Amino acid sequence: MSQEYPIKIYKEPDLRRPSLVLGWSEDMSNLGRKATGYLNRKLNGQEFAEIEPEDFFPLGGVAIEGNLAQFPESKFYACRENELVVFQSGSPGAEWHKFLNAVFDVAEHHCQVKELYTIGAMVSLSAHTAPRRLLAVVNSAEIKDVLSQYELARDLDYQTPPGERPTLNSFLLWIAKGRNILGVSLWVPIPFYLATVEDVQAQKKVLSFLNDRLDLKIDFSDLDHEIREQNERLARARSHFPQIDDYINRLESNLVLSEEENGELIKKVEEYLREGD
Amino acid sequence: MGLRLYQEPQLENPILVAGWPGIGNIGIIAVDTLRGILEAEEFGEIEPWDFFYPNRVLIRKGVLEYLEFPSSKFYFKSMGGKDIIFFIGEEQPTEGGRVYAEGRKAYRMANLVLDVVEKFKCSRIYTSGAAVALTHHTTKPRVWAVPNNESLVPEIRGYANTVLMSDIEGRGGHGNITGLNGLLLGVAKKRGCEAICLMGEIPVYLQGLPLSYPKASKSVLEVLNHSLKIEVNLDKLDELDQKVERRIEEFYQQIPLEIKGQLDRLKQVTDAQQAEPGPITEEEEKRIMEDVEKFFKKRGGGG
Repeated sequence: MSQEYPIKIYKEPDLRRPSLVLGWSEDMSNLGRKATGYLNRKLNGQEFAEIEPEDFFPLGGVAIEGNLAQFPESKFYACRENELVVFQSGSPGAEWHKFLNAVFDVAEHHCQVKELYTIGAMVSLSAHTAPRRLLAVVNSAEIKDVLSQYELARDLDYQTPPGERPTLNSFLLWIAKGRNILGVSLWVPIPFYLATVEDVQAQKKVLSFLNDRLDLKIDFSDLDHEIREQNERLARARSHFPQIDDYINRLESNLVLSEEENGELIKKVEEYLREGD
Repeated sequence: MGLRLYQEPQLENPILVAGWPGIGNIGIIAVDTLRGILEAEEFGEIEPWDFFYPNRVLIRKGVLEYLEFPSSKFYFKSMGGKDIIFFIGEEQPTEGGRVYAEGRKAYRMANLVLDVVEKFKCSRIYTSGAAVALTHHTTKPRVWAVPNNESLVPEIRGYANTVLMSDIEGRGGHGNITGLNGLLLGVAKKRGCEAICLMGEIPVYLQGLPLSYPKASKSVLEVLNHSLKIEVNLDKLDELDQKVERRIEEFYQQIPLEIKGQLDRLKQVTDAQQAEPGPITEEEEKRIMEDVEKFFKKRGGGG
C-alpha cells in the first residue's frame, strides 16, 4: 500500500462495492469537471476525503479563473444512495504515480471500489450538429465484454505518436489494472470550436452512459433544456454571422477548413457564446 | 521500490560507465554504442514509476495493453579482470519542467546508481555528455574532461585530444556540468568514489538542433578506449556521422552569409590544449555568439 500521508479522510463513507467516476478540471470544454459536478449535484455527493496538493501541484501562486483566485483541489464525494464515489481534481503536475496511487488508496481501502470510469474529451473536426459519439478504452477484456450492451465505440487502436505522452487517464487505467480494479476510460469527441466553451451535448452523452451503466435514475430534463438553449444560440450565431454559417456548413458537408478558418471559427463562436446574443 | 537487480553477476575490478540523453545525445550514443559492441548483458534497472511520466501507451481493440516508461537500465560485460557496468537512462529525471536532471529526484537517482557502484565495488565512474564550444562541425571534436578528484588530473593530461575543463581559456578553472553527468560526479565524490566526466565538443550553432552529433561521441569513445585499455572498432559511428553530416551541411547552407563567414573562422580552432591565445579574440567570440543567438531567434527558437 502506498503512503497515506497526502490523504485526508473527513468521514468514512458507508458504501458497499461502489463505482468510482473521475474527472479532471483542465479537461477540454471542462467536460470532466462539469460531468462530475453534475453527478454530485444530482446525486447529493458529500465530500469525505481529499488529497493534499503540496507534492503534486505547483504552489508558487494561485491561478485566476472567472475573476476568482483558484487553488488546486482533489476531492472525493460519496453518493450513498447510488453506491457511487466521485473524484474531482486538477491534473497533477508532478509525482503522478504517487498521486494516482493515493486516489486508489482511498478508492480501495476506504470505499472498496469495484469499477472505475474516467471522463475525457478529445478534439473532433465535426460540426456541433452531428450527434456526439462515446469511445471507451478499457483495462481488461472482461469489462469490454460487459460494455458490449451499450452504444460505445470499443475497438480503438492507438499508439502514442513520437514526441507525445500518454494521457493521465491511460496512466490511471494502467494502475487500476495492477490493482485488479476494472477500469473504463470514456472519451467524447468535441467539436473543436466548442473546446474552450461548454459542450452540453458532450456532457449529456457521457452522463447518459453512466446513468444506464450505474443505474443512477437521473432526470436529464435540465440538461436537455441547456442543450436546446446552446443549440439555439449557435443557430442565432450562424444567422447573425454568415462567415460562421459558411464554416459550419462546410463542416457539415465533411469539408476540412484551413488552419486560419479554424482559428477564426473558434474565436467567433467563443466570443458569441461568452458575450451573449 | 527503486533499484531492481535481476541477477548479481560476479565481476572483477569493475568500473561503471553512465550515459543519458542530452545535447546532441553525445553521451548516450557513446555509451550505448560501446554497450552494443561489447554485447553487454542487462542485469538490473531503476524502477521508473517515481521518476518519470510514461512515454508510450499501446491500446489494441479498445484494450490498454501496456504503458511504457523511460528506462534506466544496468548492463554488465566481463572483460577478464577489467569488467564494465553500463548504466543507460532513456531520460533524465526532472522537476518543474526543466530539461536536465535537477532536484530531489535526480539526487535520488544518482544515489541509486552509486548504490550499484558500491555493491559491485566499482573503482571508478565515467559519465559522458556534451561540451558546447566555439568549434566548427568540420573539425574533430575535442573531449573536455572533469574529474572529481585531484589525483586523476595527471592521468587525464595524458589522454589524446582531451583538455581539462579547467585548462580551457577564459574559464579560470570554473564551469558547470548540468544534469545527471554533473550530479553523479558530485554524489560519487561525496561517497568516496573517483569519477571522470568526458564531454565531446559540439559547435555552439548546433546545440539547439534536434540532431545527434556522433562525431563527438566517437571522440569520447576514443578517450574511453584509451582509459579502459580496450580496443573497439568505431566504424559504426562513422556511418552514423556521415548521415548526420549531410543534414548539418543542409542546415549550414541556410545560415546567412555574414554569420557563416564568422562561423567559418571557427575552423581554425583546433588546438587541443589552447595554451596560447586562440585565433578568435574574446570580442569576436562575443560577436559570434550574438549573431548565432540572433539567427536562432529569427528561426523560431532553434528547433
